[in-house]
Amino acid sequence: MVFTSHIFIFYFLPLVLLGYYLLPAKRNLFLLAASYVFYGWWNPWFVLLMLFATFVNYTCGGIIAKAEDDAPRRRWALAASVVISLGTLGFFKYFMFAANNLNGLLGLFGAGPFPVLQITLPVGISFYIFQSMSYSIDVYRRTSPPVRSFFDFACFVSLFPQLIAGPIVRYNTVADQLVYRTHTLDKFASGVALFILGFAKKILLANMVGPVADAVFEAESPYALDAWFGVTAYAFQIYFDFSAYSDMAIGLGRMLGFEFPRNFNAPYMADSITDFWRRWHISLSTFLRDYLYVPLGGNRKGPRRTYINLAIVMLLGGLWHGANWTFVCWGAFHGVLLAFERWRGKQSVYARLPRPFRIAATFVLVLFSWVLFRSPTLGGAGRFFGAMLGLSGAHGGSALLGGAIYTQGHLIMMALCALLAFQARQAFDLAEEVTWPKTVVLIPLFCLALVTMLVQAFNPFLYFQF
Amino acid sequence: MRGKNLFLIGAFAVIISGVGLTQALVEARRGERPQFTDLFLHAPSEEHLRGFEEDLEDASCFTEYLRPAMQYAQFAALGNTGDYALMGRDGWLFYKNGVQFLIEPWDGNAAVADVIVSFRERLAGRGIELLVVPAPGKASVYPDRLTARARAGGGVVYAHSRQLMGQLKARGVAMVDLFEVFDRARAEEGDEPDLYLQRDTHWSPAGMRLAAEAVAARLIELGWVARGDAAYDLRPASIERRGDIVHMMRSPRIEARFERQRVDCAQVVTKGEGLLYADDPQSEVLVLGDSFLRIYQADEPESAGFIAHLARELGMSLASIVNDGGASTLVRQELARKPELLSGKKVVVWEFVERDIRFGAEGWQDVALPELPAAETGAQSAS
Repeated sequence: MVFTSHIFIFYFLPLVLLGYYLLPAKRNLFLLAASYVFYGWWNPWFVLLMLFATFVNYTCGGIIAKAEDDAPRRRWALAASVVISLGTLGFFKYFMFAANNLNGLLGLFGAGPFPVLQITLPVGISFYIFQSMSYSIDVYRRTSPPVRSFFDFACFVSLFPQLIAGPIVRYNTVADQLVYRTHTLDKFASGVALFILGFAKKILLANMVGPVADAVFEAESPYALDAWFGVTAYAFQIYFDFSAYSDMAIGLGRMLGFEFPRNFNAPYMADSITDFWRRWHISLSTFLRDYLYVPLGGNRKGPRRTYINLAIVMLLGGLWHGANWTFVCWGAFHGVLLAFERWRGKQSVYARLPRPFRIAATFVLVLFSWVLFRSPTLGGAGRFFGAMLGLSGAHGGSALLGGAIYTQGHLIMMALCALLAFQARQAFDLAEEVTWPKTVVLIPLFCLALVTMLVQAFNPFLYFQF
Repeated sequence: MRGKNLFLIGAFAVIISGVGLTQALVEARRGERPQFTDLFLHAPSEEHLRGFEEDLEDASCFTEYLRPAMQYAQFAALGNTGDYALMGRDGWLFYKNGVQFLIEPWDGNAAVADVIVSFRERLAGRGIELLVVPAPGKASVYPDRLTARARAGGGVVYAHSRQLMGQLKARGVAMVDLFEVFDRARAEEGDEPDLYLQRDTHWSPAGMRLAAEAVAARLIELGWVARGDAAYDLRPASIERRGDIVHMMRSPRIEARFERQRVDCAQVVTKGEGLLYADDPQSEVLVLGDSFLRIYQADEPESAGFIAHLARELGMSLASIVNDGGASTLVRQELARKPELLSGKKVVVWEFVERDIRFGAEGWQDVALPELPAAETGAQSAS
């Protein structure tokens, strides 16, 4: 089930809110059941996998907590949690990728390929595996107490607002909220406001410019101008799509009494790549920092090791997004830029330019990285870079692309996206406090987005694949 | 503070719960069982859940009521022409799929060529010749009417079709290159008359007649058909057509914004009697194709389409099978179900629109020819 669907908005959500607030107790159990329905809507069998990940990490966390001073036993249980969690993720997400690459390698030596098992990737697996694993690690580090109830833990792992696309909520962030959380009118209204803003961003912005990006990236040989226009459309699409989902998730969380961390903070206002990663998918970057970069030694083992650690984190961060060399290269691209800026004292090479130019330069670098992220293959990314630099050859039928992308509607929506993306105050900030003027705008905005959703055939959600 | 929060929450609650409740009430008033209860009729499976969700959306009275108004609002405010249409220059409309075929990479020509060659060989086994006629999409002939930077002519935009025709030619398949015919016509005669309709995917009567003349000339040049002695006259007939691309926007209010285009056709009638042209299943020429053959022929004004004009050029009635969007496979499957249509045939003319090379319904399947009736099998083996 996706948030921007008929079934979710008009049936699932009202029933869940009604049930949740009518119940005097056992609300976590109700949320658990609702979350399993939400997740099982894709494929009921996927729920079993989530139960497996929940059970493993709950058990390992319990063993770690009980072992207290028995260091080997604690380490063994942590290792079991990490190996089983990452093994599950690896099998479902990376097995086919590894097998296909191995076949390619074998082919170089003249060996025949072995058959590759076709595995369906369960939706949201990268998110809930990371979240459930964070519990064992937090208990091991003694930053969180062990959970008392299996159902509370299962509720944390499966919590439907942030289950599919984050923000990645660590156990220690919500451990207290699972036991006790407040439900206030202010919090609920702020959640409604944020949900509406996220919903509108997804339907009225991301879905409107998405077809431009698709048309350009699927074209055989676009003109340079078309390529730049297309990748800019993709930059807007992915931001207004992914951040919208986060806004809706945080908004829903507030309606249910939870407070989830902010996931985006005006990322296209970043004036360096280092700054960009403080603003983009914050829950992932802080997760990787705390659970990977710091254990690798962080910046404590000298500059050279710091650069290597940064590169490793970004490479794995790239691979986390998908089993494709394009994502690895996307991570490497950012890793190299981050290491370079670290070498310059966390400053970009254009640090002396006025801020608007720094923002523009950072955005251009990010656009280049989105080419890697969006292209289906490295070869495709190479051709697209060529197109952006005006190096593509004959344009053939792609000469017609202008007729498909420079339409009145697309130009208006791109301008609106630019206006909204390059603002310091984003939906998250606007929803902090509900005022009468905001209320007067939000309700018609929600109605407009809902009616638009009813007629939209194009309604993908980009981060599902991750 | 409390008032605005309550107002926002109340409005939100009314909106999200109102749609489902209203839908259930509407269904109850119609005496129907509320559709959401379908969920509990089957064990939950991925297939059932997807189907349930789609049915729920399709049956929504809100969607049904609001969709036309919203589509019109988007059209008026943003110029949004929906999922199937592209707005060109000077009021021309283009079919998105047709443009998409030209823009995107395509590497399936070899498989298409295999199917066409296989069909040719199956027909040759029965002593029947095959003439292939790929019909150019509108954007291939009028790229400059879609975007100012595209040039007409020279085959620049229809590289995929040109490649397929090259492969077919190399394998000895006889064809008519309508791309070249239309490019030449535009180069020699300028923009009058238009070879395609402004807001329709199909050719105009002028383009259609040019195609019919080219196909007839090719058949005679190949020596596969001798000109017959049936005589036909032309009878002027005008129709008004809004255009199938306008209909694809699925909004009567948007449709009303586009004027009907006057289309001057010429019906083919028998000389003397003045009867409208009619197919003859016993003809030695069978024509297979898609809606490019249907327009003006089965559609109004009738008997003024490609088949009738080809018959007039050849001086004989023809047999035909026409399937909208199904020229890649469905027409041959229909032929397989009608063995009598192959009786006495010398030539099959197979027309398919360019975009169907990639998007043809049911793809490009290798379809066996129908078994001949026993009497004819004997006659053929004796000859």
